[in-house]
Amino acid sequence: MSEHKKEPGVLGQLYGIFFAKHWPVWVGGIVLGTLNILLFAIKSPWGASGGINNWGENVYRLLGLFNLDNAKPLLTNNYGMLCLFLVIGSFIAALLSKEFAFRVPPVGELIKGFIGGSLMALGATFGIGCTIGAFFSGMPALSGGAIIFTIGLFFGVIVALKYLMWEMEKFPGFSTGKSYNFLSGTGKKGNWQKWLGWIVLIITFFIAYQYSDKNKVLAWFIIIGMLMGLISQRSRFCIVKAFRDPFMTGEAEGSVGVMAGLIIGLFGFTIIKYFGIGIGEATIRSREMTWVFSHFFFRAAIGGFIFGIGMTIAGGCAVGTLWRVGEGQVKLWASALGFILISPISKMYIVPPVVNLLPKNWDFKSYMPDYIGYPGAFILVTCIILLWYVFVKWNEKTGRFSAY
Amino acid sequence: MNVEIKETLDVKGLSCPMPMMKLAKAMKGLNSNEVLEMLGTDPGTKSDLPRWCNKSGNLLLDESELDGGVFRFLIQKN
Repeated sequence: MSEHKKEPGVLGQLYGIFFAKHWPVWVGGIVLGTLNILLFAIKSPWGASGGINNWGENVYRLLGLFNLDNAKPLLTNNYGMLCLFLVIGSFIAALLSKEFAFRVPPVGELIKGFIGGSLMALGATFGIGCTIGAFFSGMPALSGGAIIFTIGLFFGVIVALKYLMWEMEKFPGFSTGKSYNFLSGTGKKGNWQKWLGWIVLIITFFIAYQYSDKNKVLAWFIIIGMLMGLISQRSRFCIVKAFRDPFMTGEAEGSVGVMAGLIIGLFGFTIIKYFGIGIGEATIRSREMTWVFSHFFFRAAIGGFIFGIGMTIAGGCAVGTLWRVGEGQVKLWASALGFILISPISKMYIVPPVVNLLPKNWDFKSYMPDYIGYPGAFILVTCIILLWYVFVKWNEKTGRFSAY
Repeated sequence: MNVEIKETLDVKGLSCPMPMMKLAKAMKGLNSNEVLEMLGTDPGTKSDLPRWCNKSGNLLLDESELDGGVFRFLIQKN
């Protein structure tokens, strides 16, 4: 009889809640939304492309290219460190649930990863933000540009999904071939992963503690970054999925998870801005304009569209890429590499000449409460999310817009 | 599990969304009640696949983890 299997103790059961099964996406969304509010309360909201750009600048600085001597060192850059510890947090989560492995895909997938990451870098530079800064934080920040960026994302995702389906039909060989899997944690032999997970977790807190004397904000960015990576990995929080799945398998779970995070963020951000919480030496106006970028209208539209294509081809947005890097998916390493290498180049050489061609008056910061007041802006964002919810749920039932 | 496997789909090394896209395509080629075996390494499939089966009406007969971190699923077409 298998009844002899020992039942885990109270702490063992608690461990199981976190690391035995994946969490519902909406749970991840709500916790990530809450942590996003905490970041804003401490300093400024969640963003990812800025941090990855900081990595890229540091890589080129080390290589002595492009005169980037003034680039901020990674170890003192809030967002660079937030991104780094997001990867480490996901690594910890993957180890503690024995889901870590180096998963090397066929070559065609690696190429797609690199191209997807490069397009995301380009899109994030155009749009001044990625799916986090200009969407997951931008919408709750009541930024008009974020709504335009989001519409751009939708179109980009649809175009790239059509491409993926076409590629699978016409060139199935591109996504087949030799693949490798190393260091997986199957069975009892894989228990080393749990031990390593605990060690990395303790080291993370130790590093954060080291910063707590001189740079309290950065200490907390390290801890929150780690938690964000951990939660993203456990709930498989994925913004590509939120946009793509209704048009692919018709599923709405990923979309609803992201909506949950948006709504939580909307409440928190509105309150912080309305009351000017955490302004310190700054003016209340600068608090209100936080994460409202000068990308309304063309930059947001173009940036969102290109970013949407990139993230769908890569199979993860900026954050989706980072947490999959942490669980050992080598396709997303290629995506991160593309993002890191192309982001500084986009910023210095590619985007500025194109932006100069755009009409000047279409390049400004649009803060919605300036036009329709706080209640109007709050209701508008809520209605957009609600509309999206009704669409994905209706589509889930009817399958009208899904490919499979 | 003792069932006749009609087709094996190898998606090892692939990450989201390729496993689910390939699965949906492969299932289209099967007749009712035939069983497909899928081998993959993306942890995401462990939650995506049961959800998709639930929605599409196909039956997930079995899921297990083989040596070397390979997830194996048996899916019966509805």
